[in-house]
Amino acid sequence: MASRSERAQPPQGQPPQGGGGRGGAPPQPPVDPKYNWPATPRTVVGTRVKRLDGPDKVSGRAKYTFDVSRPRMLYARAVRSPYPHARVVSIDFSAAEKVPGFKSSLIVRDPKDQKTNVVLYQGDEVAAVAADTEEHAIDAARAVKVEYEPLPAVISVDSALAGRAPEGVFPNGNVRAANTQEVGDLAAGFAAAAHTLEQTYSTHVITHVCMESHGTVCEWDGDKLTAYVSTQGVNSARDNFASGLGIPQTNVRVICQYMGGGFGSKLQLGPEGLICAKLAKQAGAPVKMTLDRKEEHLVTGNRPSAAAKIKAGVSADGMITAIDAESWGTGGAGAAAGFPFPYIYHSTPTDTRRRAHKDVFINTGLQRPMRAPGHPQGSFITEMMMDELADLVKMDPVEFRIKNLPPAGPAAMWASYLREGAEAFGWSKRHPTGDPTPGSIKTGMGVAVGTWTGGGRGPSPAHCEIGSDGSVIMRLGSQDIGTGQRTLVAVVTADALGLQPSQITPEIGDTQYGVSAGSGGSTTAASTSPGMRIAALKALEALKEKVAPALGVTADQLVATGGRIQVKDTPSKSLSWADACKRIGTQPITADAEWQPGMTSANVSGAQFAEAKVDVKTGIVRVTRVLAIQDCGLVLNPLTAESQCYGGVIGSLNFALFEDRILDRRTGQMVNPNMEWYLLAGMSDVPQIEVRLKNMPERGVIGLGEPPTVPTAAAVALAVRNAIGVTVRSLPLTPAKIFESLQQKA
Amino acid sequence: MPKRKDEPGFSRRSFLKTVGAGGVAAGVLSKAPAVGAQANAAGPGPVPVTLNVNGKTLRLEIEPRVTLLDALRMRADLTGNKRGCDRGACGACTMIVDGRTVYACSTLAIEVQGKKIRTVDGLASASGQLHPVQQAFCDKDALMCGFCTPGFVMASVGLLEKHPNATPEQIKKGLDGNICRCGTFSRVYEAVASVASNGAKGVTRG
Repeated sequence: MASRSERAQPPQGQPPQGGGGRGGAPPQPPVDPKYNWPATPRTVVGTRVKRLDGPDKVSGRAKYTFDVSRPRMLYARAVRSPYPHARVVSIDFSAAEKVPGFKSSLIVRDPKDQKTNVVLYQGDEVAAVAADTEEHAIDAARAVKVEYEPLPAVISVDSALAGRAPEGVFPNGNVRAANTQEVGDLAAGFAAAAHTLEQTYSTHVITHVCMESHGTVCEWDGDKLTAYVSTQGVNSARDNFASGLGIPQTNVRVICQYMGGGFGSKLQLGPEGLICAKLAKQAGAPVKMTLDRKEEHLVTGNRPSAAAKIKAGVSADGMITAIDAESWGTGGAGAAAGFPFPYIYHSTPTDTRRRAHKDVFINTGLQRPMRAPGHPQGSFITEMMMDELADLVKMDPVEFRIKNLPPAGPAAMWASYLREGAEAFGWSKRHPTGDPTPGSIKTGMGVAVGTWTGGGRGPSPAHCEIGSDGSVIMRLGSQDIGTGQRTLVAVVTADALGLQPSQITPEIGDTQYGVSAGSGGSTTAASTSPGMRIAALKALEALKEKVAPALGVTADQLVATGGRIQVKDTPSKSLSWADACKRIGTQPITADAEWQPGMTSANVSGAQFAEAKVDVKTGIVRVTRVLAIQDCGLVLNPLTAESQCYGGVIGSLNFALFEDRILDRRTGQMVNPNMEWYLLAGMSDVPQIEVRLKNMPERGVIGLGEPPTVPTAAAVALAVRNAIGVTVRSLPLTPAKIFESLQQKA
Repeated sequence: MPKRKDEPGFSRRSFLKTVGAGGVAAGVLSKAPAVGAQANAAGPGPVPVTLNVNGKTLRLEIEPRVTLLDALRMRADLTGNKRGCDRGACGACTMIVDGRTVYACSTLAIEVQGKKIRTVDGLASASGQLHPVQQAFCDKDALMCGFCTPGFVMASVGLLEKHPNATPEQIKKGLDGNICRCGTFSRVYEAVASVASNGAKGVTRG
């Protein structure tokens, strides 16, 4: 229910460390107890509330940016570089201008500007056109004649690392080394080891593949811009428009009522937003610019690759003694590629590790945060290492993990989840590495853990209005990116007022509704729910003052419950909500509040078990079962929260088995910028998934969008390893790769 | 010498525009109204196209290359069905034409004149009563961002009209042509199975 997407990547050159080594969240001063989440019983919070906007979404009535149409609206299309690295020599619009319906054109890379006339990846924007229909805009974009001078490109990470790639492409070279991080006495750690493991593990680049592509509809009224944007942050988009166009923020209104997935790629306004606004201004008409699937793959972000060459020591009794790693990854043409390592687990008796990380730059589109940035990669690399270490000391992987976890605490529940999960999943039936069953279908089990920070932050203001007709508005500048934020607004408000969610009118997705943070980092639920609850309770206090005389008591003797305002413990003395609100008068009651510490906390734990069947004749993997145990603090709406867990597991399954951004080694162009060769799971590929959501009301709201997508890929890869007895140390686990590994073993 | 390089390969639209529009359209031309001076070719300019959508007649002036999906979305404001991949791979555009589910992004509008076209926009009753499949999606939380949902709903309706008691295997195979990036599959399955478990009560061939 918290946001599904991402917070910013760690500072460049500083790979983040894992969530290990903590026993609990930092202490926070308590909120005024009268506003804090109540102890049981709750009427709405914690119950299974159906999405308020479900009927609009299933009937097609929900209007996404992609669906917005304005009078006289034009369609825009970008002209993009087919080359991964080139200088734009000239741009000729003369043929485009003759295309029927052509209206306007824009140069993005001015050939005369030596600073900006170089494109750094396939799909980089060069120019744009607007026309009366989308077909004509496509025709006109094709007719724009661009002359390029192709330049040498860096295409392969390995070549760049080996110093064999062209130099001079990026200002400070193709490889940027971070400061080496070192903790403890490495030599002593390895001296204490009974075994050492030396291996290299790696993950690939994937793209976000939002079903609704990035897009904007821009409409000017004089110097004021109204922009419909498919965005995870209406307010950040407003800032991006204002700074990009050099106009005051007060002149920009951004609206996003429904959006079709972001996963981190829509936290920032892409170049298409500003292009659209400029074309609209130029053409004197509203302009719609939505990217096609190919553009979406090329330029709207990706999850960076990750790799690590590891040396790890383990004592005879199964304690990790030291971890030494060189790591690298690519986030494209100049972006960082950090990931946490070692992830969660640590060495004993003292934390002993070294990490040297390099960001490698290649000529592809830049990475953007993608659902738990860095964590799925760090999890895969660490968990693969864990099973190989466990095998060295002949220990059960669950027991080995439990021995090497940080101390247990409310924010470090892994050991308990591992034990519970092992029991529930039938882990005792797991055979040692390599299924001895005859025949070509081999079965195996794997396990992995995950963490995420989440948590709330202010100010995240909320505004509540109660009208004399009984209507309740909860208004805030937040947005629903598919996680169910709109429903959550109603759940929190209704719970505070003793009403049903259907009685609440949530107003979100518009900068006119106020300021709120972008939906990233799984922080939306925790950031917005305290302000909403406090605003609702303050409005209720005002209502009680108006109602108290009619019931012959003072306001503090009243409670709101079951759709009525009643005297405490005296249900017979009460007024219905509607009758109570009639005393409000013409001016609605209003109340505002912000996030308060004490109603939220941070850091969650999760553990997942996977079972996979592998056909060793073909290398095809079928994941049959996944068990996901996850906490997220106070569960506000179990129905939508569980959906986040299903989605996280399936997303990570895609990462493990199917999706892969494949580049042509010679041209640097993406080979599969579509949805038929960029593979994603269909329903037949989805395993039976059991979600065990742990409610921890005493911790307040934390957030859930990202953590469930962390451990699945590692658990699946380890299930495959357990099945076939061969370790495939890189993702994705394609049939070809598995088959080749089996052949090499044979 | 200019070094301009267009996108490699060709798309459906450029193909139809350059070589095929007239030819492709010729097969259905007899059903279409006269298209001006050129007796044997439709387009490339706009031609009249008449569609039967959700029980209503829709008269449009569109180029022959315009897909069913784009015609309805951009010329008739029937925006319920979505465009995800535009190549018949993701299923967000799924509509039902003469009882069969089709990828509307890969169907030309001019091809389906005279056929009965159903989109998600027309699935609920006139009074707003949701179709049993739509209701099941809401009840089981079989949607997150909701962008793929109209396609899943139409694919499920098409499946259940054909197989009211669809087996788990039939449900999975029947919906394999639809992709959900939020990962709602488990709940979509639950929703469709719940309708199939009572013989798809209330699901009638539209």
